[in-house]
Amino acid sequence: MDFVALEDIDGVRLTWNIWPNSKLEATKCVIPFASVYTPNKRLPSMPVLPYEPIPCKQCSAILNPYARVDFYSKVWICPFCHSRNHFPAHYQGISDTSMPAELYPNYCTIEYTLPKSVAPHPPAYIFLIDTCVSEDELGACKAAIMQAIQTLPEYAYVGLVTFGTHVHVYELGFTECSKCYVFRGSKEYTSQQIVEQLGVRGGAAGRPGQAGAPGQAGPQPGAPQRRFLMPLSECEFTLTTALEELQKDSYPVIATHRPARCTGTAMQVATALLGASVPIGSCAARVLLFVGGPCTEGSGKVVNRELTEEIRSHKDLAKDGAPHYRKAKKFYDGIAAELVAHGHALDIFACALDQVGVAEMKDVVMTTGGLTVQTDTFHNIVFRDSLKRLFSRDGEDGFLGLSSNATFEVIPSRDIKVAGLLGPAARVEKKSPHIADVEVGLGGTTTWKLCSLDSETSLAVLYEITATANREAADGQANSQFFLQFITRYLHWTGELRCRVTTVTRRWMDGSQVGEIITGFDQEAAAVLMGRLATHKMETEEDFDATRWLDRALIRLAQRFGDYRKDDPQSFNLRPELSFYPQFMFHLRRSPFVQVFGNSPDETAYYRMALFRVAVPDAMVMIQPQLTAYHFNGPPEPVLLDVSSILPERVLLLDAYFYVVVFHGTTIAQWRKAEYHLQPEHAAFAQVLAAPQAEAKDIVRRRFPVPKIVDCDHNGSQARFLLVKLNPSSTYTSATPMSAEVINTDDVSLATFTEHLKRLAVQS
Amino acid sequence: DPNALPRPVGEQLERARTPHARADPANCSPDNMRMTVNAIPATTALRSRMPLPLGVVVHPMADEAHGRCVPVVQLSSAGIVRCRRCRTYMSPFIQWTDAGRRFKCNVCSMLNEIPVEYFCSLDQNGRRRDAEERPELSQGTVEYVAPADYMVRAPMPPVYFFLIDVSYSAVASGMLATVAATIKSCLDSLPGDERTLVGFITFDSSLHFYNLKSSLTQPQMLVVTELDDPFVPLPDDLLVNLRDSRQVVEALLDALPGNFAGNTVVESAMGPALQAAFMVTSHIGGKLLLFQSSVPSLGVGKVKNRENLSAYGTEREPALRNPDDPFFKRYAAECSRVQITVDVFALCQQYCDLASLAAIPRYTCGELYYYPGFLAQRDGPRLSAELRRNLTRPTAWEAVMRVRCSKGLRISAFHGHFFNRSTDLLALPTCDPDKAFAMEITHEEGMVQPGMAYVQCALLYTNSIGERRIRVHTMAVPVVSELSDLFNATDAGATTCMLAKLSVEKYLSSRLDETRQALHSRLFGALKEFRIMNSSAALRAPNKLIFPETYKYLPVWTLGLMKCAAFRGGAKDVNADERIAVGHYLMGSGVDAVLRLAYPAAYMLHDPAGPWGVQQEDGAVPLPPAVPLTLAALSEAGAYLLDTGRVFVLWVGRAISPQWCMEVFGTDPISLPQDTSGVVVEPGRDAPMSRRLNTLLRALRTGRSLHQQVFVVRQGSGLDAHVLPYFVEDRSPATQSYTDYVVALHKAVMAK
Ligand SMILES: [Zn+2]
Ligand SMILES: [Zn+2]
Repeated sequence: MDFVALEDIDGVRLTWNIWPNSKLEATKCVIPFASVYTPNKRLPSMPVLPYEPIPCKQCSAILNPYARVDFYSKVWICPFCHSRNHFPAHYQGISDTSMPAELYPNYCTIEYTLPKSVAPHPPAYIFLIDTCVSEDELGACKAAIMQAIQTLPEYAYVGLVTFGTHVHVYELGFTECSKCYVFRGSKEYTSQQIVEQLGVRGGAAGRPGQAGAPGQAGPQPGAPQRRFLMPLSECEFTLTTALEELQKDSYPVIATHRPARCTGTAMQVATALLGASVPIGSCAARVLLFVGGPCTEGSGKVVNRELTEEIRSHKDLAKDGAPHYRKAKKFYDGIAAELVAHGHALDIFACALDQVGVAEMKDVVMTTGGLTVQTDTFHNIVFRDSLKRLFSRDGEDGFLGLSSNATFEVIPSRDIKVAGLLGPAARVEKKSPHIADVEVGLGGTTTWKLCSLDSETSLAVLYEITATANREAADGQANSQFFLQFITRYLHWTGELRCRVTTVTRRWMDGSQVGEIITGFDQEAAAVLMGRLATHKMETEEDFDATRWLDRALIRLAQRFGDYRKDDPQSFNLRPELSFYPQFMFHLRRSPFVQVFGNSPDETAYYRMALFRVAVPDAMVMIQPQLTAYHFNGPPEPVLLDVSSILPERVLLLDAYFYVVVFHGTTIAQWRKAEYHLQPEHAAFAQVLAAPQAEAKDIVRRRFPVPKIVDCDHNGSQARFLLVKLNPSSTYTSATPMSAEVINTDDVSLATFTEHLKRLAVQS
Repeated sequence: DPNALPRPVGEQLERARTPHARADPANCSPDNMRMTVNAIPATTALRSRMPLPLGVVVHPMADEAHGRCVPVVQLSSAGIVRCRRCRTYMSPFIQWTDAGRRFKCNVCSMLNEIPVEYFCSLDQNGRRRDAEERPELSQGTVEYVAPADYMVRAPMPPVYFFLIDVSYSAVASGMLATVAATIKSCLDSLPGDERTLVGFITFDSSLHFYNLKSSLTQPQMLVVTELDDPFVPLPDDLLVNLRDSRQVVEALLDALPGNFAGNTVVESAMGPALQAAFMVTSHIGGKLLLFQSSVPSLGVGKVKNRENLSAYGTEREPALRNPDDPFFKRYAAECSRVQITVDVFALCQQYCDLASLAAIPRYTCGELYYYPGFLAQRDGPRLSAELRRNLTRPTAWEAVMRVRCSKGLRISAFHGHFFNRSTDLLALPTCDPDKAFAMEITHEEGMVQPGMAYVQCALLYTNSIGERRIRVHTMAVPVVSELSDLFNATDAGATTCMLAKLSVEKYLSSRLDETRQALHSRLFGALKEFRIMNSSAALRAPNKLIFPETYKYLPVWTLGLMKCAAFRGGAKDVNADERIAVGHYLMGSGVDAVLRLAYPAAYMLHDPAGPWGVQQEDGAVPLPPAVPLTLAALSEAGAYLLDTGRVFVLWVGRAISPQWCMEVFGTDPISLPQDTSGVVVEPGRDAPMSRRLNTLLRALRTGRSLHQQVFVVRQGSGLDAHVLPYFVEDRSPATQSYTDYVVALHKAVMAK
């Protein structure tokens, strides 16, 4: 099956595309049954219908091409619950020659335009800026923000909150002089207190007829509403002046201390302000946090001010030796809940050499669908260009397709339950007969909320098959199909309220038909799912050994679906449907998603957030970077991620997702140094040099966060960016003795890894 | 015969006010120190026969008030020479022994060695030969430049911190605009040149700090809404160097009225604002000027309306004149500790519990300005003038004052606006020429050495150019052993001033009637003693009230004090805040101001005869003739100016001449409204009478701490009820006439 082609139509990948029809057989498949769905994927051919969808009265699934329709009696039968539904009155004209678009067989993914229940409001952004960085860093940060503001539509609402020792909320509507409200960084505030102190009306932003309930705090009668969040067109001068005059936090910092930085309190203030200023569900609203160091003051503190206390490492976290971690996480989770309640998102731009506490703040971003960019400095182009892309518009390069206020619902066929979701979303309490007993990730529901989502945002949903063995016999051939429907209601970037419905169908199969089942195995989807699941378990399960867990799964999968004679490693042979999976696991095990000890908790959190957000192809690039060779003898070709791929007359392009390396072999490097490519007779060489650069730029253009480009030569110091990702085939081989289930512990070559796998898989 | 009663009117007034001649020509000026009795009783027994207070009114910066330069002592390398034991400074009264190698302390009699650097031989009279070159040996007032050991830190710069109410009434009344414009116009005249620091906080229901960093193009306003636990939102730049940040400061002052133009907030967080201002300035100290318009209603120190009429006449009455909340005294003590003086401009539209608020200036050597129902159109010039004087007058910073007196005597009580830091050390975070104090002197032992006794006052302070200075005033007072000498040496003016301060002290702990009774008892007691002493003369004139010549005006001044707004009547007679404001004024004022309030001058303005109101070549402006302070003395065809020191009342008779009226008011008497509250006489018109009146007003105001506003009152208009209490000699429902009072005094003295 061409899974990629299917994904291009509906944005859906399934780990298994043929499902065993019994619970017992399902457990033998080792890899969970899951979908990875991109609800806002740009599908140019997808129709957008100017009317509302027709739901099944019984199960609320939306009418779709798989419904059986009786045009004569104007009745459709729901493929999920088999209920008979009458078409509504305005569908009386339909017939088999005059079908509504949602019944066309090739419109399995379709969008409806919904009427709005809330008056529309322009998008709203609060810039939340750390002033505890150096003048130089602050200057770079300000410059990038100013540049970004230039690209904002002038009707967009903006707000400015800065923080250091204290939090400053700028009253942009006050034009007489610069004016801000100050909150003490070390103090705990509730959102209610913040809103009262700012004197802003809850939720209505001064809209007539929507004023707060009587008795609710607000400005005194007759007092003009203070305006902290207002259209850019009305406050551009005040905002840019405030930014220009923005100074480094002026509280003195002694040499043995970190600056007092109250990131948590600031986030609380921004959250409360945005919540009180923008009516729920009316627009895309986000808090953009620009932070250059760890929170050291007040709620959400990551580390003490004394430099003698080091910021927590993975080792500390593992030993429960991080004194602030749990408390901070709990605090940020509270903020996350508040943002989710309002449908607002938080983005983090963390630009610092050291950690800033992304690990603690991770769930604020994850549950609100926010974006994170992490680099070393505000001067970094990765930061600047990523920020710019956040505001890019439809039709412009790098448009992210940011939509907002989404609810995502999954409706499966009978005998399928939803175990949970792994992805950037928040759980919504909602009853459903399709909730599995055992929760995985965000479980206990079939509906989730996404405050923000872009066209890449991808959600992994895990299923449990609850059918009993003989159901096929009982229900007959008619039910050999099962269905999954994904319903996403969201505020489109155009301001329209949309509902996207994707309905997919796959086959049930007798689970004993191993050879059939495996033909539906999507190795990439499986690898990505295992990546999300492994990292999720690392974060939520005590003493979870991810490597061991992945290895066990791989071995069991190989045992179940491999061809071999017992106890004869040489006889082992993987089916083509499974042939790449061990290699994916080999790289996943080595990836920063699983290997934490070379990285800081912030880095790990950052990588995992990216893994949890993107669709299968991009996630695959993260797990197993793509290496492409450019040479004189033909078109560019993918090559093995192995040191043997390095040749003197090759240019290699490594796409490691977060960065892209253009690596010149020794000969190429010499010629380039000699500037042969500038000579007309060496046009072919010029072509070899130019092609990977063009490809790299193309990658940069379509990816968020914008990756860093490393241009290097063999033997150059930057070459390590490539080398670290390559399989060390020719460097050394390890013959480490193995336990029964774990393949190895140290950095070994893929070949060794595969050898061990074969040996262990065939063991009886 | 009422006409025969002595009155401090006209030429008599000048004589009445004038202090006695100095007991020693080397004494400091009586402007600086003025004894209530220019003699010290030799024994306790003698002292006990004199019921009037014995003490000194001290006006440490009177020199600036009178435009005098204080000679500065040239220090030798020996530093400041003082008595080893009692720390008395050098003075003309030091006695030299051992050919000038030692001196005997005039205060404690200790024999002190002279440092060789300070040695000088003596002349045949035992006087040092260099006495004339050394001001400390020849003059009663000198100043030392204090060396480093007189400092606990580097001399502080002048600091002016403005704390301005910007609530609805502050804006609507025009207070904010007036204050901002006045401050701006004073920026060039603030003392201290390039060292001066300024800062601002405005407040309504929240606190607004201003970042005035010199590199900013505009001030940055920082709002703190936490009132329970106010905090300072910036570590620096809230109190800035005026010269460096001049542009930003001016931008702020220009912007302030506009910033709050639409402010509808009626709440006022005065207490938290005071706390915030303290936090900003406490590391340096200085002057904190509070402009309060609304009733303080939020946070600590919020005002309860406790003007409880039924409490008057009960033991709960004095509590009404003390702070309601311990916050005020505590805050004042903290300010004093860190060298902050708080001046309060109370511009309230209604009752604002000045009794509480006044505690802060009371203990920090601050002023209390009271503008009931402030309206800029009417009261703006007064606010502007008083603020200007406050900001531009010479000011001493981080000061302490100590008064020493001869062995056998001690200072037993201090009266004035200060915090008593230790037994005899007064903390004056700032001091200025408008401040006076009074000290009572008591015998410590049974008797004092015969001859002369000495009083020395030392004010250690930092001047506005950053020098640490010690100003020393010394005076010698003869020791006497006869009661008659005490009566003859009594200075009625200084005594009245002292009595006023004692009465303010008294009314904080007693009812008003008790306060008045105490005042009366002292005078009556003294007169009784006098009668006993002069029993023979008394026998000769059994029905005549006899009193010493020096006591001539004491009865009318005492009566005047009893009738002034601080002590008069009861709950309904004087508004509670006004009472407090006048009490504060009396406590801080010198002799002249107290006498002026006790018996205001009533100048006759309708008679153009004479040179009054016309500036003479020497700059002097002759005063018009004055009349006794009784309505009976006023002519219906006349116009009179009452000068109380706090206000001017222009009383216009029913039958005033149309010409006078036209010249002064620009209208004839028929068109002049009955309600004259809106009628002004300033600035003058181009008419002789108006010019003379305005010249007179200017002359009278010169050198006074308050800018007296002119209130025009037409005879019989209803408004004149407000001015009746100023006519000290007249009877009112609650008070005696002068004649009645003298008769009553007489009866009491005659009674066995
Ligand atoms: Zn259904
Ligand atoms: Zn002595």
